[in-house]
Amino acid sequence: MTDFLQMIASGIAVGSSYALMGLAMVIIYKTSEVVNFAQGEMALLSLFLTYMVLEFHGVPYYVAFPGALLFAVFLGCFLEFAVLRRAKEPNVLGMIIITIGIEMILMGLVSWKFGADPKTMPFPIGPYDSVAIGEVFVSSLEVLTFVTAIALMVVLFLFFRYSKLGVAMKATQQNSMAARLMGIKTKRILMITWGISSFVGCTAGLLIAPTTMQPYMMWDPMLKGFAAAVMGGMTSLPGSVFGAYLIGIIENLFGGYISIEFKSVVAFFIIVLVLCVKPSGLFARHFVKKV
Amino acid sequence: MKRKGICITSLVSALLLALSFSATAEEGVTDTTIRIGQWGPQTGPAAPWGAVARGTGVYFQMINDEGGINGRKIDYRMFDDAYNPAKTKAGVKELQEGIGIFGWASGVGTACGLSVKDYLMERKIPWVGPAAGSLHWISPPQKYLFAVYPLYYSEAQILTKYAVSTLGKKRVAIAYQNDDYGKNGVAGAEKQLAKQGLKLVAQVPVEVADTDMKPHIMQLRKAEADAVLLWVGPVHAARIVGTGAAMQFQPQWMSTSTCSDFPFMFSLTKGLWKNVIVANFGELPDSTAPLMQKYKKAHEKYAAKDERWGVFFYAGFGFVEPMVEGLKRTGRDLTRERFVKEMEGIRNFKGIFGTIDYAPYEPSDVYSRQGQKEVFLTQCMEDAKAKRLTDWMEPD
Repeated sequence: MTDFLQMIASGIAVGSSYALMGLAMVIIYKTSEVVNFAQGEMALLSLFLTYMVLEFHGVPYYVAFPGALLFAVFLGCFLEFAVLRRAKEPNVLGMIIITIGIEMILMGLVSWKFGADPKTMPFPIGPYDSVAIGEVFVSSLEVLTFVTAIALMVVLFLFFRYSKLGVAMKATQQNSMAARLMGIKTKRILMITWGISSFVGCTAGLLIAPTTMQPYMMWDPMLKGFAAAVMGGMTSLPGSVFGAYLIGIIENLFGGYISIEFKSVVAFFIIVLVLCVKPSGLFARHFVKKV
Repeated sequence: MKRKGICITSLVSALLLALSFSATAEEGVTDTTIRIGQWGPQTGPAAPWGAVARGTGVYFQMINDEGGINGRKIDYRMFDDAYNPAKTKAGVKELQEGIGIFGWASGVGTACGLSVKDYLMERKIPWVGPAAGSLHWISPPQKYLFAVYPLYYSEAQILTKYAVSTLGKKRVAIAYQNDDYGKNGVAGAEKQLAKQGLKLVAQVPVEVADTDMKPHIMQLRKAEADAVLLWVGPVHAARIVGTGAAMQFQPQWMSTSTCSDFPFMFSLTKGLWKNVIVANFGELPDSTAPLMQKYKKAHEKYAAKDERWGVFFYAGFGFVEPMVEGLKRTGRDLTRERFVKEMEGIRNFKGIFGTIDYAPYEPSDVYSRQGQKEVFLTQCMEDAKAKRLTDWMEPD
C-alpha cells in the first residue's frame, strides 16, 4: 500500500511540471490555434540569464526571479511582434514551422553562450529536501511546483472566463475577423497571449532548473506538457492540468507495476488511445466554425 | 628540335616522378603535416562529453608548438556529431573521402563509434583510443583499432569485488542506462558476483529520456540493496543519488569512471556525491604529477576561457597519448602499416592514464588491442576531494 501511495504521490509531483508546460501551450493555442514548439526554449533563455545573474553577479533571488518572469513576458511579446507577425500569408502550419525554427535558434544561442555542462540553478529550496507524509516522500520543491501549478491554473481559468482581456482572447481564437470588427485589437491580443504563455513556461522552468539545467532540459517537459494538453483537448486549461496529472500517475504506476523500461513512452501510447476514442481530447468543447 | 625533345622528356619524367611519389605517400600525410580526425558531441544531450575532442585539440596544439612529431605538425580535424551515429558516419566519410585522414583519434560514444568501425577497418585506417570502454572494440580484436579506455565490464567487476570483499556488502544492485554501455556494467557485476556465490538483487534500467527517478529508487529500496552500482550518465547518477537521499534510501553508491569527475558531480548533487566510490582510469584533476602539470599549463594557454579543467577534458589528452607515442616511434617514414607495427610494440607505456600495453595482432587474443586494463578506486570526500581507496587494480 505504501508503494502504491508513493507512486500516486510521485505521479502528482512529476505531473505538476508537465501541467505548467501544458498550460503555457494551451494559452497560445486557445488564441491562435498554433502549437508553440519553442515554448520550452523561450523559458530556457530566461533561465540561463537568471543563472548568470545569480551565480556571477550576486543578484539576490527576490530580484532575479521576478526579473526572469518579466524578461519572459518581454521575450514572448517580442517574438510574436518581431517574428510571427512578420510571416507573409500566415497559416497555422507555417506558424508551427516558425516556432520550430525559433526553438532551434534559442537552443543554439544558449548552448553557444553557456556551454553544455549540466548546472544547477541556485534556489532557496534544495532540490532534494523532502517532506515525509507517513512513509511517503515528496520533495519540498515538488510541493512548491504542485501549489504553483494549481494556483496558476485557477488564476488563468478565472482570467479567461471573467476578465475582459480573457474574453477578448477567446473571441480572437473563435473568429478573428468578427473580433476585429467588434473593436478588439487582435494583433495586440496575440502579443499579450505570447507574453502570458512565456511567463507560465518560465515559471515551469524555474521550478525544474534547481535539479539540473542544461540546454536540452526543457524538451522533455515540453513534450509531456504538449501530450497533457492534447489529452485535455488543447483548449481547456483544467483539461491540460488534469491530463498532466493523469500522465504523471500512469507513468509511475506503469513503471512500478509493469515495466520501468517503457515508463517514459507510455504517455504517448495513452494519447493515441485517447485520440482514437475521443479525437478532440477529454475536456474539449471545440468551437465549430459554421460554413 | 633536339632541345625541345629533351625538354618534353624531362617534363614528362618529372611529372611521372611526382605521380609515383604521391602514389606511395600515405593518405593524410604530407611532408609537413599528419591529418588526424575526431568526432565529439558539441551539442545535444551528450554535449558535456564533447570536452574530450576539445582536450585532444589542445594536446595537439601543444605538440605542434613544441615542433610537431618527427618534423610534421598535426592537422587536426574535429566535427560535431551531436552523439548521433548517423551524423558520425556522414562526417567521417566526408572527411575521409574528401580530404583524406591518416588516422582517427578517440571519439565519444559506443553507438557513434560502432557506426564507423567497419568502415574504418575495411579501409585499414588506424583508430586509437575510442572514448568508451566497450567490449565491441576488442571483441573480436581489429588490426587497426587500439583501445585505451579500460572496459566498463572490468570496472564493474572491480567495483563489485570491492563492495563484497572489502566493504562486506551482500545485496548488490545496479541501475544501468538501457544500452550497450549500461549492459556492459550489468554483465561485469553479474560475472563477479557469480564468482562469489551471489546474484544482483535488482537490475533497474534507466532510459535516457527519464527524468523522474522515484520509480527506480523504489525498486532498489524494495530489493533492500546495500550497494548500488550506477552505470548511467552523470545527470542520471546525480538524480538517482539525490532522489535516494530525498527518499531516505542511502546504500553505498558506486559508479563508473564516467562519473568520476568529483567537483562536477559534487556541485550537480549539491554535496550528496560525498561518500560515493568510483573507478578512475587516470590521474585526478588536482594531481601534481609533472605530466599533468604540463597539460594543465597547455589548458591555461590554449583552451577557451570557459573550458573547465575536468576529467573529460584532459582525458582527451590521455586517450591520444598512445597514438602520439606510436607516431613518434614510427619516425619520418610514416605509413599506416609501419604505424600499426610500432603501436604493437608499445609496452609499459605510462602517460596520465594507467599502464598501456599492446601486443602483435592475434585474432584470438582480445587483449592484444586493449591498452589499459587497470583502474583504481576513489571515494568522494568533503569539498569534492578524492580519497584514494586502492592502488591500480585489474579484474581477476
